[in-house]
Amino acid sequence: MTDSTGLTRSHIDLSPFAGAVSNRAERLARHAKKQQALGWFCTYTPIELIHAAGFLPVRIYGGTIRVELASSLVPNFVCPYMRTSLERALRGEYKYLSGVIQGYTCDTPCGMLSIWQENAGPGLFHTVPLPYNSGPAARTFYRHTLNELIDKLAGIGGQTDPASLERSLDLYAEIRRTLLRLYELRLRDIFVPPASGFYTILEAGFSLPPEEYLVLLTNLTGALGNIKAATPSGIPVLVSGSLVEQLWIFDLLEAAGGRVVADDLCNGYRYCQPADGSGADPMDRLIDRYIQRFPCPARSTVQERVPQVRALLEKSGARGAIFLFQKFCTPHLADYPALAAELKNAGIPVLLVEMDESGNIEGQLKTRFGAFFEMIGG
Amino acid sequence: MDNTRKSTKRLATAKELQQIVAGFYLEGHEAKRSGKPVGWMPPMNGLIEIFYAMDLQPAFPENWSPVCAAFGLIDRNYQAADSMGFSPDLCGYLRNCVGYINGMMGEEGVPLGGLPEPDMIFMPGAGCVPTMKNFQYIARRFPGAKVFKADLPQVPIEDIQRYHIDYALSEINRIVEFLTRVTGRKLDHGRLAEVVRLSDQACALWDEITSFRRCLPTPISAAEVGLMFVMVTRQGTQLAVDYLTRVRDEVKQRAEKGIGIIAKEKVRLFWDNIPLWYNLGLFNYFEKYGGVVVAETYSAAWSIRLDTANPLEALAMKSLQSYPMVSCVSMKRRKEMVLRACRDYHIDGVILHSNKSCLPITLGQMDIKRALQEELGVPSVVIEADHMDPANFSMAQFEARADAFIEVLLQRKGYRQ
Repeated sequence: MTDSTGLTRSHIDLSPFAGAVSNRAERLARHAKKQQALGWFCTYTPIELIHAAGFLPVRIYGGTIRVELASSLVPNFVCPYMRTSLERALRGEYKYLSGVIQGYTCDTPCGMLSIWQENAGPGLFHTVPLPYNSGPAARTFYRHTLNELIDKLAGIGGQTDPASLERSLDLYAEIRRTLLRLYELRLRDIFVPPASGFYTILEAGFSLPPEEYLVLLTNLTGALGNIKAATPSGIPVLVSGSLVEQLWIFDLLEAAGGRVVADDLCNGYRYCQPADGSGADPMDRLIDRYIQRFPCPARSTVQERVPQVRALLEKSGARGAIFLFQKFCTPHLADYPALAAELKNAGIPVLLVEMDESGNIEGQLKTRFGAFFEMIGG
Repeated sequence: MDNTRKSTKRLATAKELQQIVAGFYLEGHEAKRSGKPVGWMPPMNGLIEIFYAMDLQPAFPENWSPVCAAFGLIDRNYQAADSMGFSPDLCGYLRNCVGYINGMMGEEGVPLGGLPEPDMIFMPGAGCVPTMKNFQYIARRFPGAKVFKADLPQVPIEDIQRYHIDYALSEINRIVEFLTRVTGRKLDHGRLAEVVRLSDQACALWDEITSFRRCLPTPISAAEVGLMFVMVTRQGTQLAVDYLTRVRDEVKQRAEKGIGIIAKEKVRLFWDNIPLWYNLGLFNYFEKYGGVVVAETYSAAWSIRLDTANPLEALAMKSLQSYPMVSCVSMKRRKEMVLRACRDYHIDGVILHSNKSCLPITLGQMDIKRALQEELGVPSVVIEADHMDPANFSMAQFEARADAFIEVLLQRKGYRQ
């Protein structure tokens, strides 16, 4: 299956993003010789703080790989993302990382961090506890956890001060604002790349130095300046779920007659929204952004998520919702019955797809996507 | 082959347990009838002591699941959950509970009358994700109940700092304010001190009971794990202290007289992870070979000693420690605990239950397995099963692995089969 990242209009070039994704391992191994890199799994990890301390935050990817070494350390009912990532770490593919920092959300990465430390160390392995509430006491607690992270980072040579944090906050806010602008342009049919291309843009940002990434994004939005709206074909849908590593799934979705107009994905909207927070000092601003962020089921209630996902559906005009879950993803699987029931009650058709680590779901997906869009379109 | 089996208990005091379980559920229904507020809460935190101190009625949906397993109710609950769209890959506690509350709850003839309807619901922000989701579904099912969204730092025990305790303490104070507002009852701090003293006394008794597992032969085995019911539901009560005192006396007497679980104890085993609630008989399986499952990991989470001089802070500390101790949050501490238990209890072999229904406890087992071998020379075997769902357990496969394992252990100890 090829990645169909590419050109939708002759003068829009997404190849720098695709290139950044395809040469990630070699590029990062080189980069880590001049700047220490720290891995992260979850979008609740305060990457701004890691960057402010002088490190390059890098999202860990697993992808499609035969799991052999990791099978001797974790059971097969761990999600593919965690198993394949561990497999790569055990094979030495993440040797360039100086450690992994993780915001405490799901049980699995929390446990996996200890397993990485034990079997794929040495380095700084730290989980940042997160508040579940948003009041003043929760924010004070959050500030303590972030100060503790600053201390941990200082232990491996990090240097953070209010000015460096402010600069990193500005940088990531601008990146997120630009990404949200791309979401808007997609909604207005001005920027209509294949969905796999759209999410490759996001994926590139998880490993590129943010300064370089912002330049690429700015170039892209500049090129989109005078483009008129297209008339894209396909039934508009929202995709909701975990991290989607196998972007070719979007190609199948589109080939079957669908078009992604909105998402509630870990490698999509949930990373971007909101672009920034506000506060009396940089730390307050950081805290505010993460407390206000678009919720993941691991760190929110289904009661909170239902209206937010429904709002996305309404705003985007999606006529269906496709749930793309990593197999064994407890937070998403657990929210699904309530979310699906609410959407069905509102007349929105839903489809659930579970992604396994083999990637051998193409045939099954073609049939299921085809039937789904036939049902909606009919 | 039948996947379910009840355990054979050797303690006379274990027979009282049935009455204690029935009494707890009866008390819940009486509370509901008399207007005493009922609160549904997750286990392993300081809420229970506050409830007993304020004369409120606690109920534990998670604890109801083993009861459902014992009464054979889980198939119907799972069917109800399946029909709502809950994946069979989700934790059995979650599926059983949502199935129950949206299915047979309130019907005539449910054993023990089931759970009394909640007036208050404590929706946790720590512990495992399935527990958090379970309470969110409970809140959806009972929209009339008052909901408290509780927060708690989730950190390894060895990393607990003053600010974690302060935040846990502030949440406990917020809970007390909530309870006062909703029920109109005030917390009497003198009464709370007494409840915390009783809770600590129960933990001390529990620790004393488990200490007899050092004895050769052991006077108590994991087959008596049902005793934990009082630790889960009755901490902070005189009833728990009185009952555990009787258990302690019996176990002590057996130890003094050298009465073991079986006539000739040849091999001593340790069980890691939650028991199979629908097949506690597994704990007796090895007895035909002279094997006794001397101890298990799970009960440790319910025995956290409390600083009785500082009741509220003691409850905050309990909240911070219980879940991490037995889960992947505090992997280092958990490994130490298993290794220490194996040393203290003279364990010959360890059964690692790879539990489909509980990833947080299953993660890290392979590192524990390696440490057991490298540091203690204790062999272990992995058994794939599920603490709540018999569909994920094969008795035939268990027997094949268990038989081969016990044979190795017997040979290592010089016994000939």
